[in-house]
Amino acid sequence: MNPSVDDRLNSVLRALQTVVLPALPDSASLAREQVMLAMGHIQIIQAQRDNTPTFEQGELDDLLYMARAILALDEAPVGCARENEALAAAVAQTNANASPRQAAEAIRAAIDALLIAARSIDEDAYHAALAATILPLGRARARADREWFAIMGFDIELSGA
Amino acid sequence: MIDTEPQLAAMLEERKARRTMPPYIPQVDGDVQALLARFFNREMPGSSVSGIARIGGGASKEQFVFILAAPGNEPRRYVLRMDALEGITETSRAREFEILGAFRDVVPVPKPVWLDARAEHFPTPAIIMEFVEGVTKPQTDGVSVTGLGTVLGDPLRDIIAPQYFENLAKIHNFDWTIAGLKHFSAPTADPKQPTRWLINFWKELLEQDAVTLEPVLRLATQWLKDHVPDCLAPCVVHGDYRTGNYLFDELSGQVTAILDWEMSYIGDFHADLGWLLQPVFGSNIGGVFRASDIAPPAEMIARYETASGNRVDPCKLHYFTVFNAWKSYILVSALGMRAARTAHNHQDVLLTFLAATGPMFVDDLARLLMMEESR
Repeated sequence: MNPSVDDRLNSVLRALQTVVLPALPDSASLAREQVMLAMGHIQIIQAQRDNTPTFEQGELDDLLYMARAILALDEAPVGCARENEALAAAVAQTNANASPRQAAEAIRAAIDALLIAARSIDEDAYHAALAATILPLGRARARADREWFAIMGFDIELSGA
Repeated sequence: MIDTEPQLAAMLEERKARRTMPPYIPQVDGDVQALLARFFNREMPGSSVSGIARIGGGASKEQFVFILAAPGNEPRRYVLRMDALEGITETSRAREFEILGAFRDVVPVPKPVWLDARAEHFPTPAIIMEFVEGVTKPQTDGVSVTGLGTVLGDPLRDIIAPQYFENLAKIHNFDWTIAGLKHFSAPTADPKQPTRWLINFWKELLEQDAVTLEPVLRLATQWLKDHVPDCLAPCVVHGDYRTGNYLFDELSGQVTAILDWEMSYIGDFHADLGWLLQPVFGSNIGGVFRASDIAPPAEMIARYETASGNRVDPCKLHYFTVFNAWKSYILVSALGMRAARTAHNHQDVLLTFLAATGPMFVDDLARLLMMEESR
C-alpha cells in the first residue's frame, strides 16, 4: 500500500513534535517558534487540503462573476475601451490558464488596469459604477476567504465560531 | 523620487537593489557573538560580551539580548536589533535610533546606545539599546507567536489602561519642532502634505511588492489619494501603538517601555487611533470588543480625548481607519509575502502565516468604502 499524504504529513508532524522540538533548548527561541509555526501550518494545510481545489475554483468563479458584472455596465468610456476589451479577453481565455489561481490573477490584473484607466481619464460616473460593482462582490469574496482562514485562529469574529 | 519624506524616498529607492539578492540566512548565535566582540573591541576596549540569546517574537527584525561587561562598569544587558534583507516593514534604523533618543525623558522607552545605520560593522543596519525588563502579554495568555490578539484581562487591563492613554497623549503632544530630528522631515509645506507623503510612501511599497492585484485595494488606494484630509498640527505618530508593543511588569502592571517605533513619522494623530482600534489587535470576550484589550472603541476615543486634549474628528478617524486597513494589508499581504517569496527574511513561515489575515483587511476596506459610497 502506498503511504497517503496524511500518513506522510502525520509522520513529519510527529517527528517535529516528539523529536525536534524537545531537542531544542529554551534559548533557541527562533528555532522553537519556527517549529511550532511549521507544525501549525502543516495541520492547517491538512485540514484544508481536500477542499483546496473547490476553494480555488470558487475564488476564480467569484472573480469571473465580478468581471462579467463590470462588462455588463453601460458602455465603457472611450478612454477605457482598450482595458475593457482586455478584461473581456481575460474572461474568454480563462480555460487557457494552467490553474484557477493563474486565471484569477489574469482577471485581477485586467480589472486593475481598468480601474487605473477609469481614474486617469477622470470618468467619475463610470469609476463610481465600477466601485459600486466591485465593493460588494469583493467583500463577499473576502468573507469567504476569511472563513477559509478562520482556522488559523486570529479572526476574532470568525475563528471562535 | 516619489513625493514623500526625502529620507523615506531614498530608502524606497535603495530597497529596489536588494530585491535580486540571494536568500537571507538567519544569524547564528556564534556569529553574533563574534560580531559583537569585534564591535565592542573597537567601541569599548577591554569589554567582554556574553550570554547571547535570541529574542523571540516580532515579524521584522533579528533581535538578540546579550551582556556587556565594560571596564569600570557593572555588566549590563543590551538588545541588538538587526534588519533582515526584507521583512513585513521597510524602516530605517537611524530614524528608530533618533526617535527613541528623543522620547527618553517623555515616555518609557529603551535607551538607544549604538547605531550602525550603514551596516559598517554588522551585516545589515543595526541598533543596540538597553534591555528593559517586562513582558508584552501575561503568562496566562498562552503561546502565540503571531503577536496578535493579546488579552490583558483583569486586573491588568484596568491598571494599564490609564498609562496606555497617558503615554499616547505624551507622544502626540511632544514638541518635535525643537527635538532636532535630523532623520525626519517636517511636512509643513501645506496642510495636506503630512498625509499625502504618508499615502505616497505606502502606495510605493504596495506597487513594489504586490503579489496580487486585489481590486478592492486599488479602489482603496484611489480613495485615499482623492480624500487626503488637512492636518493643521502635525505631531509624532508612533505608527504601531497597541497592546503587544509595550512592555509591562506583570506583578505591578507598570508599563516599562513602549516598543516598535520603527514606523513613526510626523503626521496626523488620527492615524494612531485608526491603527489601535483595528479588530485584529483587539479582543472579543463575552461579546464585548475591546481595542487593544483596553476598552470598546467609543470609550477609547473619549479617554484619549481626555488624556490628550485633542479632539477627534470623526471624518478624519474614518479616513485613517481606511488607511490602516490598507496599510495592514500592504504589510502582511505585500511586504510580508514578497519577503517570503524571495526568501529574504529569517522567518518566512511566520510571514506566510500572517498573510492569511489579508482577507480581514480586504473585507474591512470594502465595508468602509461602501459606507463612504453611501454618504
